[in-house]
Amino acid sequence: MSTAFQSSSRKSWRLATGFAFTALACAILLGGVSAWLLGSVAIAGLSAAAFTFNFHTPAAFIRLFAVGRTAARYGERLTGHKAALADQISRRVELFAAMAAAPAVRRAGWQLGDDARLADYLDDVEDLDFARLRAGLPALTFACGLAVLIVGSAVLAPLSLLPIIVLLLATLFAGNRVARAGAMAWRETRSLRRGGASRLGAAMASAVPLKAEGAWNRECTEALAALSRADAAQLALRRLQAMLDMIGGALGPVAGVSVMAAAWYAGRQGTELLAPMLLAFSWLALGETMNGASRMLVAVLRRNAARAEIGQWTRGTAAGRREFALDDIKPALLLHGGLQRRAPDGRSIGTPISLLLARGQPTLLVGASGSGKTSLLKQIAGWIGDDAFATDDRILSAGERRALVSLVLHDAVVLEDTVRANLFAGDAPDAVLWRALEAVEMDGRIREAGGLDSWVRQDRFSLGEAQRINLARAWLSPQPVVLLDEPTEHLDEAQGERILERLLARFSDRIVVVSTHRAPPLRDVRTIELQP
Amino acid sequence: MTIAAIPVPSPELAASGPAAFEALSAAERLARPGLRGLLALQAVRAVLRLGFAATAAMAAGRLVMGETVEPWLVAGMIALLAAACLAGFAAERMQASAENAVSTRLRALASERLGKMPARQLQSLSTGGLIVSMQRHPEAIAALVVGHRAATAMMAAGPLLAAIALCLVSWQAALLVISLTPVMVLFFALVGNAIRRRADAQERAFGRLAGQFADRVRTLPTILANHATASEEAKLGRRLEGYTGETIGLLRIAFANAGIIDFFASLSIAILAIFLGLGHLKLATIPGFSNLELWQSLFILMIAPEYFAPFRRFSEQYHAKAEGLAAAAALDRLLGAAPVTACPLPVLDRLRLTLPAHGLVAIVGPSGSGKSTLLRRLAGLEPGAMPTPGTRPLATGEIAWVSTDAYVPEGTLSEAMLWNGGALDRTRLENAARAIGLLDDALLPGGLDARLDKGGANLSGGQRLRIAVARAQLSGRTVLADEPTAKLDRATAEAVRRMLIGISGARLVVVATHDRELAAAADLVVDLTRDDTVEVAA
Repeated sequence: MSTAFQSSSRKSWRLATGFAFTALACAILLGGVSAWLLGSVAIAGLSAAAFTFNFHTPAAFIRLFAVGRTAARYGERLTGHKAALADQISRRVELFAAMAAAPAVRRAGWQLGDDARLADYLDDVEDLDFARLRAGLPALTFACGLAVLIVGSAVLAPLSLLPIIVLLLATLFAGNRVARAGAMAWRETRSLRRGGASRLGAAMASAVPLKAEGAWNRECTEALAALSRADAAQLALRRLQAMLDMIGGALGPVAGVSVMAAAWYAGRQGTELLAPMLLAFSWLALGETMNGASRMLVAVLRRNAARAEIGQWTRGTAAGRREFALDDIKPALLLHGGLQRRAPDGRSIGTPISLLLARGQPTLLVGASGSGKTSLLKQIAGWIGDDAFATDDRILSAGERRALVSLVLHDAVVLEDTVRANLFAGDAPDAVLWRALEAVEMDGRIREAGGLDSWVRQDRFSLGEAQRINLARAWLSPQPVVLLDEPTEHLDEAQGERILERLLARFSDRIVVVSTHRAPPLRDVRTIELQP
Repeated sequence: MTIAAIPVPSPELAASGPAAFEALSAAERLARPGLRGLLALQAVRAVLRLGFAATAAMAAGRLVMGETVEPWLVAGMIALLAAACLAGFAAERMQASAENAVSTRLRALASERLGKMPARQLQSLSTGGLIVSMQRHPEAIAALVVGHRAATAMMAAGPLLAAIALCLVSWQAALLVISLTPVMVLFFALVGNAIRRRADAQERAFGRLAGQFADRVRTLPTILANHATASEEAKLGRRLEGYTGETIGLLRIAFANAGIIDFFASLSIAILAIFLGLGHLKLATIPGFSNLELWQSLFILMIAPEYFAPFRRFSEQYHAKAEGLAAAAALDRLLGAAPVTACPLPVLDRLRLTLPAHGLVAIVGPSGSGKSTLLRRLAGLEPGAMPTPGTRPLATGEIAWVSTDAYVPEGTLSEAMLWNGGALDRTRLENAARAIGLLDDALLPGGLDARLDKGGANLSGGQRLRIAVARAQLSGRTVLADEPTAKLDRATAEAVRRMLIGISGARLVVVATHDRELAAAADLVVDLTRDDTVEVAA
């Protein structure tokens, strides 16, 4: 599939480049030839040459350029976006796969589950998606147009190159300065925005204590002030951009004037000045396209910043990319004699513990909040650390356990998709899915929402309902090891106990670990109390 | 020194609710001074550019026709060009500053509004949504009320100036471009309608697919946990492809908008060049296009694109308008939402209660009976009758609030303990931290210099709560504690109880709690168990 995207994107880029060159050429020639025509006829009109003057050919060309410019610009825009969107598909699919394989995603709390972080991330992805369209393509065509006109000026009016090159150097110098200051401004903006956002987030999380203690206004104002300082950093960048645009905008007119002046200084007169006039008006037309110079530069800056930022998510991907297929293994027990518990950031917690998880006898992890229950489950699941666990007849590495374990996260979410897709049960028959929904007491709610193929979103469900959908996924999972993280959270006590009992009955021939902060009355469980 | 509870009406918390926020009109007001200057600069720039075009055309035309070019003409041309560039530079800087000023002040207004918002309503807002809104929406609104408004105004002023300039040379040429305008506007409207219809249809059919990439990134850990990476990857590819196809269909029409302007700008140049050429050759006598000097026709040729340029700039601002309006609507919704009303709790309104100036008061009762609400009323965070200790209600500066969602600033543990209080010597800090078990916490290595992440991200609820208790002990304020021992292990809960009881020796400590041991140690127990009566036992 991805090769199909790539070939269609390459074709679109070629087409877009062709259109871009055509559009620029037509724009330049429309201005140049029209001026040349007027000059020629004005001179011809003074004499009898007026009657022999071939007016219709250049007039036809002018019409052609006018229509060509319009059509080519339209084509450039459309095929350019088509190419960028085709790239976008393959890039985003690749990015998704790379992030899925990145170890960072499994370790800590998922930061991109947060709206604000996700919005920033999407901005970055979009900056990558459109950099070529916004900067690469216009820069290429502009550079070619520039080269052609410089050669023309060197031939027709060599002296004019002096101011042109001085101005070009000034543009490059200003561009360089904007690039450097801009990269810094972007870093600053990002860090200020992130700082302000997390500060506002922290204040919102503590809204009641802050209001009670009379500190809300100060915290809120300071958080928003950080966001405004980020805007101020952007303002500084925009002011620099204005400088670059001023110098860039002067290029066309200055070059045009220089060409005419140099030609006149070289002693050209009358019809000899027509070719320089064509060139001068071409410079004016090229100058018009130079208006967005700073925007191109900023698109590049944003792309570079975005690349660095997104790279952080996918770092270390290559190592973790191996997927294990262990369909035939059904371990009767998982064993670790001295497991050093670890926090998500790698710090060790407490003294090593010995774990024996056996099929048919659920293990209950009990501990106060912050005692590291979730981290231990992730460690068993192979999401944190690279401990090896023993089974009856072999050693299972972290990567192998990932394939064997169904980890039921307490903060699992609902995908924007159908109910069926949300259950992740492949092509299981409807009856099986409904049975799972009944087991978690969600069948009525889903029927109400429109059945298995209705489209659902996170915000349509309460926390308890989302949790029950998550438990239905566990019910349907085929893995021989099931780890349930706070399965009864957000459920009322009686309902939580009913559902948990059903789940444990279904998993009677699997290895099951349940973490909880309040121990439910369950028979036949081994309890491990965790101390921080 | 006790007094019976009296209802204290709080003006800020009155049930009538706040006025609508009206971000857009506020932004328009804020933008007015900057916008005026910006428009003036843009108009000056337009005039200067026309002046440059006139002088450049004159110089080039005279040069080609072998007439003398006066030095003043060349000097004027260069001066006009330089001035036009400078005016453009100043206009862009001014636009940036004006937009920045609007977004900053809008944010300050929002901050003010958030400051007045009751805690209950703040809690009902989505944190992520609020952050996104505060970060992006003021900027988007500023772009609408400054950049877009300026482009709209220039769409009237720019072509008018260009038409006047054309009139100076040939009113017929001016008439020609002006007469093209209604045709262009008609096309504009037709295309605009088509875009809207198509976009609506697309929204209906494909709105679901628009956020699929974002949604799959958001839900990535869930996908991983369910071993669905491969299938979701394939599905994502298919859905993005479908959505992209539709998007291109929409763009095909949307780009026609810019295409129309391009077409008329190109067409006008082509028509003018040909008419003017025929005029110069004297092959045809077209009124207004014959017997012109070369510089005059060059001038017309240079001005015609200037006539259409403002339309183009306006059409490029299409997104700014849509985004700005959406941002203003979102901000209004967020900040002007109707106040969230609490469940009525008649038991609290009937409460007759005297609070001592010091001692431990325990509010007990099952979940939902109003324990937390009573605590909030004490702090003045909720409207309604509230018991007042002493002769007056508590002022916000006299309260230390203890809960698992206590605020923890980024920095060291000692900074967190000193937060919102005065400077204290290290020994007192150390004693308080030790007494509550913060110094020998295995998950918080480093003692008083332990590093706390932004928003206390590396802290558990229990650690936060203990920091708040230590802070309360150091602060010398009245302590209001919401479930101070829930979710703690036994030893830590015991330390928290000990410290709260210790504080109550000198100050008032009110706890809302399920903890029987803590309630047993209270000097006064407020039991909200029964619906109609409240038992108060000393």
